[in-house]
Amino acid sequence: MRFLLHALLGASLCLPVLVTAADNDEALKMLERMTEAAKTLTYEGVFAYQSGKNMQSIRIYHRADARGELERLISLNGEAREVIRSNDMVTCINPEGKQVNVSRRPLGRGFPSDLPRRLNSATPYYDVNLGEMDRIAGRQAQELVITPVDEYRYGYRLWVDADTHLLLKSELVGTDGGVLETFTFSSIDTDVHIPEHKFKSQMAGEEMTWHRSEPEKPLDAASHSQEHHWRPSWLPDGFSQVAYQTRLRANNGADVEQRVYSDGLSSVSVFIEKIRARHSHLRGGSHVGAINAFGTIMQAHFVTVVGEVPAQTVEKIGNSIAFAEARQ
Amino acid sequence: MTAKQHELLSAFVDGELNSQELDELLALMSTNDNARADYQRYQLSSDVLRGYTNRSQPVDFSARISAALADEPVHQLTAKSGKKASVLTLPDWFWKQTAGLAAAASIGALAVIGVLNQPQTDVTPELAQAAPVETQAVVAASPNRWTVGEQEVEDRLNNYLVDHNEYAGASGLFSYARVVSYGEE
Repeated sequence: MRFLLHALLGASLCLPVLVTAADNDEALKMLERMTEAAKTLTYEGVFAYQSGKNMQSIRIYHRADARGELERLISLNGEAREVIRSNDMVTCINPEGKQVNVSRRPLGRGFPSDLPRRLNSATPYYDVNLGEMDRIAGRQAQELVITPVDEYRYGYRLWVDADTHLLLKSELVGTDGGVLETFTFSSIDTDVHIPEHKFKSQMAGEEMTWHRSEPEKPLDAASHSQEHHWRPSWLPDGFSQVAYQTRLRANNGADVEQRVYSDGLSSVSVFIEKIRARHSHLRGGSHVGAINAFGTIMQAHFVTVVGEVPAQTVEKIGNSIAFAEARQ
Repeated sequence: MTAKQHELLSAFVDGELNSQELDELLALMSTNDNARADYQRYQLSSDVLRGYTNRSQPVDFSARISAALADEPVHQLTAKSGKKASVLTLPDWFWKQTAGLAAAASIGALAVIGVLNQPQTDVTPELAQAAPVETQAVVAASPNRWTVGEQEVEDRLNNYLVDHNEYAGASGLFSYARVVSYGEE
């Protein structure tokens, strides 16, 4: 009898733990499916982006087929800003300033492509749990609640389409529990054929100023990485370097090095740019939406840390960066 | 736009929405052109109040100021009814039934104030300046841009923003919205 009692007691204690673990597992799987869906589905919709008192309606077209991915975002209120992404290019169109910025993407090194692999590395630093079922843009959505273990990263609440696993709504949660940014679809169609012309900009290119930036040849990049030894001596637990590249801005000849550090969910970029003439730069912190930046000048270089992490994180990383002379 | 929708918009500008109301407003903004236009008007008046008039488009002060003046009574009306609602906590059915009445009343009030304001909009600049002072406390949105002084620094940070977005984390498919929305207020 006593044995039975113990067994029962033991089982009842274990049960919640087992359920939580299974819950957590399911939530992680859902996160992986969500990442995959955003890349492999063709969809068209309108979503709202809200940060503080700023609000925008944005139309998105995304096509995925044998040719790869093609995506276009257009702002529906105010100036019709656009971003067009193809497999290898990112084009930003700013009608207000009559400027077009074209940047070549690092081939096959985009964050989303290997996010599922890295998600596991994020698990010690976030609690990932299933939330309630909800309705977003007329679809059944499963909520995922992602809570960070320390104050160096933000939390997330994500609503994932139960049917297609597409992300329908996303909230970025600050260290005080307040919502910093909300993205939410008001309408979405995943069963569409999007004709080619929908991916073309409405702006005529003639009267615009074009800026191009190209990645440097691998050889140059290699020589740079040997030359420069910019390293942060402090990163939040779990952050490691996931990407490195150098770019040359065609319009002003600026040579920019970017190192990306991530814990699997949040990421921070460190930009190093050599000062070529007398120029000014960000000193200290600034932000746009939930993106924080911290800038400083070091060894005749602009050093800038940018990421969707709290201000104290970019500042702490920025202050820890040191320059070491190249080893001969 | 119903009175309830105006109230939502006004409460948003005052920063007084809870997350459920915010959801409602976001849905409204994405589907209702009038709501978007009204939101632009709120923002336009806040532009003038905060001196953000150095845009490339020509600035029509009279239109903006009359918009600010026309908006002013709306703020006060909606703010009052908002306070009543929270103090009296009447059941939902009561508000549903009186909503139509309230809408009619506020439209009436708007029309009257509109007439009263008519001559003010095209008179002296002192009058036009007086009104913004009152609304300043109400409208205090921060612009959606880097808080840096120089264009050169802002441009550089924007290039970084685009480059970083390639690696932006869990916001995934939404992340470029930050680039598309940049500078909108």
